[in-house]
Amino acid sequence: MQETDINLLVGGPQGGGIDSAANMVSMAFSLAGYNIYGIREYHSNIKGRHSYIHFRIMHKRPRSLKYPVDIMVALDPDTLFEHMFDVSSNAKIIYDTSFDKFELKNARMITSDTMESIRNELKSRNLTLDVHGILDYFRSVGAVPIAMPFDKLINDYVPEGPATRYYNTLGAGTTLAILGLDIEHANEGIKYAFRKKPSVVDSNLRVIKAAYDYVDKSEIKPEQLKFYPVIPRILLTGNDAVAIGKLMGGLRFQTYYPITPASDESTLLENHEDIKFLENETKNLKKGGLVVVQCEDELSAVNMANGGALTGARSATATSGPGFSLMAEGISFAGMTEIPLVVTLYQRGGPSTGLPTRNGQSDLLFALNTGHGEFPKMVISSGDMEECVYDAMKSLNYAQKYQMPVIHMIDKTLANTMDLVPEIDVKRVRIEKYRDNNNHENYKRYDLNTDDGVSPYGVFGKDVFWMTGDEHNELGHVTEDTSLRDKMMEKRMRKLITADREIPMEDRAILYGNENADITYITWGSQKSLLLDAIDELKKDGISANLLYLRMFAPFPSEYVGEVLKKSNLIIDVESNMTAQAAKIIRMNTGIEVKSSILKYNGRHMTIDEVIKSTKRIMGKELEMVVLENGS
Amino acid sequence: MEKSVERYNYRSNITIDWCPGCGNFGIVSAVTQALTDMKMDPKDVVAVSGIGCSGKTPHYLNIAGAHTLHGRSIPYAVGVKLANPNLNVLVMGGDGDLLSIGAGHLVAEGRRNSGIVVLLYNNAVYGLTKGQAAPTMPLNEKVKSIPRPNILDKINPVALAMTSGYSFVARGFSSEIKQLSMLIERAMKHKGSAIIEILQPCPTYNDVNTLDWFRKRVYKLEDDKTWNPVVNDKSEEEEKFNKGYNLSLKWGDKIPIGIFYENNTVPSFPERLSKIVPDYIKYPPSDQDVSDKDGYTIVDPIKTFIEKEIE
Repeated sequence: MQETDINLLVGGPQGGGIDSAANMVSMAFSLAGYNIYGIREYHSNIKGRHSYIHFRIMHKRPRSLKYPVDIMVALDPDTLFEHMFDVSSNAKIIYDTSFDKFELKNARMITSDTMESIRNELKSRNLTLDVHGILDYFRSVGAVPIAMPFDKLINDYVPEGPATRYYNTLGAGTTLAILGLDIEHANEGIKYAFRKKPSVVDSNLRVIKAAYDYVDKSEIKPEQLKFYPVIPRILLTGNDAVAIGKLMGGLRFQTYYPITPASDESTLLENHEDIKFLENETKNLKKGGLVVVQCEDELSAVNMANGGALTGARSATATSGPGFSLMAEGISFAGMTEIPLVVTLYQRGGPSTGLPTRNGQSDLLFALNTGHGEFPKMVISSGDMEECVYDAMKSLNYAQKYQMPVIHMIDKTLANTMDLVPEIDVKRVRIEKYRDNNNHENYKRYDLNTDDGVSPYGVFGKDVFWMTGDEHNELGHVTEDTSLRDKMMEKRMRKLITADREIPMEDRAILYGNENADITYITWGSQKSLLLDAIDELKKDGISANLLYLRMFAPFPSEYVGEVLKKSNLIIDVESNMTAQAAKIIRMNTGIEVKSSILKYNGRHMTIDEVIKSTKRIMGKELEMVVLENGS
Repeated sequence: MEKSVERYNYRSNITIDWCPGCGNFGIVSAVTQALTDMKMDPKDVVAVSGIGCSGKTPHYLNIAGAHTLHGRSIPYAVGVKLANPNLNVLVMGGDGDLLSIGAGHLVAEGRRNSGIVVLLYNNAVYGLTKGQAAPTMPLNEKVKSIPRPNILDKINPVALAMTSGYSFVARGFSSEIKQLSMLIERAMKHKGSAIIEILQPCPTYNDVNTLDWFRKRVYKLEDDKTWNPVVNDKSEEEEKFNKGYNLSLKWGDKIPIGIFYENNTVPSFPERLSKIVPDYIKYPPSDQDVSDKDGYTIVDPIKTFIEKEIE
């Protein structure tokens, strides 16, 4: 029997309950013993514009999404048009019978450019520019539209209405029924999705019943789905995972200014200022809560976090491109004054406001070069949920240990990915503290008597010392003495050499797969898991591939990367940006030029089908660089 | 946690390089006088400054000092204060630093009321960059360092502070050291955020607002025995705010110095936080254990984020 591999898309207006539907579906499948991997796409808008969630459901843990989708739920007519190219030849498409009269020209939330390409496609096939036309299109490619009377069904089961409020549950419930899930699983999904709104659980359960009854009485033949034993897992997004990791890593002071897609991390933390502690062996410890401060702007956020760190509290902030630009000066200050600062940088599509709710990996070179002057900083990147958790802990460790700013990079795709994580290991990462000062009488904050560049860290409240963004002497007072300047510059930069020596390679770069392969992929961030899936897929076609996965860009693991690439055959760089920034960093550090690349900068996540297709085109020497276009 | 220190020298041994006659000397004297009077443990107080002549102040004091970025002294100070609310945090900033490049933070701090003390050095010029007009210089004023009469109008720091929500607002004069030190002490004992505008001459660049110019005009509010700007009950708030605010608009031949407004009924940010964050004052972020004896986390991620769990 072929393994279950379902790609599901639920689309509708922003504010129309897509998130609840997503939570419900995830929980229901999880209870049937499945794993899910989902990514949410949305506009910079509160209500009305098109948003959707794309899920992949498998028993083994999926690590990527795949087009075309096998089942699509349209909660509004726009979804039918927006995703006309995204469905498979035997896909089931669930929609409301009332959409029948809807004309394309009335889909006002579809942007005019997208509208144009839909119109051209329908015209070229001599189809009408309305829902009839799009349904004919679906039938012509072999898909099966399933019309349901949304309002009537809901009114029969929830007469108090309003029916529109339950479209999400009806659509998602019908999907579960068609896919062969037990109604009990669906019901548990509802209870989970609405756990914070108990008053609407009952009515949503009735809508689930409506969906299952409808499928039961219809001619639709539900799938035979195998159920598996359930193991406990946690449903996480990248935002959640970083928040959890930071708190476990000892974060006690977080500052932020609202920005997509970073704020979900801070608001989650704000919701958990009352920390719950492990019971064993923590009885006599000094335990308190977390302080989260919403600041007036990112200038305040980064500098307030710096201020917090001066008291010894593990401090951090989180932001995205535009906010990170504003933080540059504060990061330079942290570098100069040796403050342990962590900045979680959630990348979105730039430049400027760019694509505020879409994916991008175009801030790598910026992160590496942030701040004026030359100072040590660390730049690390995560590519999946587990890395988000443990890298967040490690970021705080690095900052403390090396007394420098650490930039932890996440991309929007990862931030908004929903993934079931098997467990969180509280003993995976040890917490490392700054080098304590024990000479309180004649304390020198910037003691030059240090081999590794790290001076003992004094804190306000325990020590009297000075600090300044000007060049300074060992006490922290301003100096312009030439030889002292040289010594201080060298001391600060020496910490980077120390970090380069001390941090194990698996935290910096990893070669996945067999050393000898036809293809060596290079990537960073959210494409990691997708490429691991791609390697498995290619194996089926007799193509061997491995992956050089980059996790740390400063200090860069030059020697290791150089060694791996010298032994490689066809090297393909895979990044969500236009200028292949990681490849540039590799060339800068190793001299090796990576010529082939698969790049994407339309703001949407990569999908496995397009990566495999492009790989084959590059192997066939058809192209050196492929720009990916999937996504709505 | 009252600690006290006898005969501590709050002046560091760093040579002061301000111009002779600078108003900043008076401010340093008033600060050290207030700390001496309060017998302040030097470990319990932190001086935070931005950039400019004012920014050098922390180096001249024998207490912990952070000489930070232009305009950003308030965020640093708030970071220190909220991560360790048991510290006394002084901000020393110039008129350009706090009212121009850092104006957003100055206003935002009124809403927070974190419990920091802001000393706003006002000499109406940017001294360190050779005398450009600061946001406190009036329209059409011509001092010797600017090429033409000032084309911009001035901000009223006291009125701005009051409308921003500071719960202690005062004005001092750098040559009235006794009063200024009293104002600083009162401000430090106040629970919410305090701001003191300090009028001062810049003998090098401002030849209009000179020492004599100020001496002829200033008068002390407390000399009027009926003057009581302190709000201890919400019912007095509107009347006392209005009185203080109206007084802040007076400028010219007579310039009032002293306390304009003190409102003890507004909870400070630490007081607000301690209602949400367990043991916030006892174990603030600065003073917590974050790992067990083996170095592992003490946070239970599942219990803390229980709602995310899937059984």
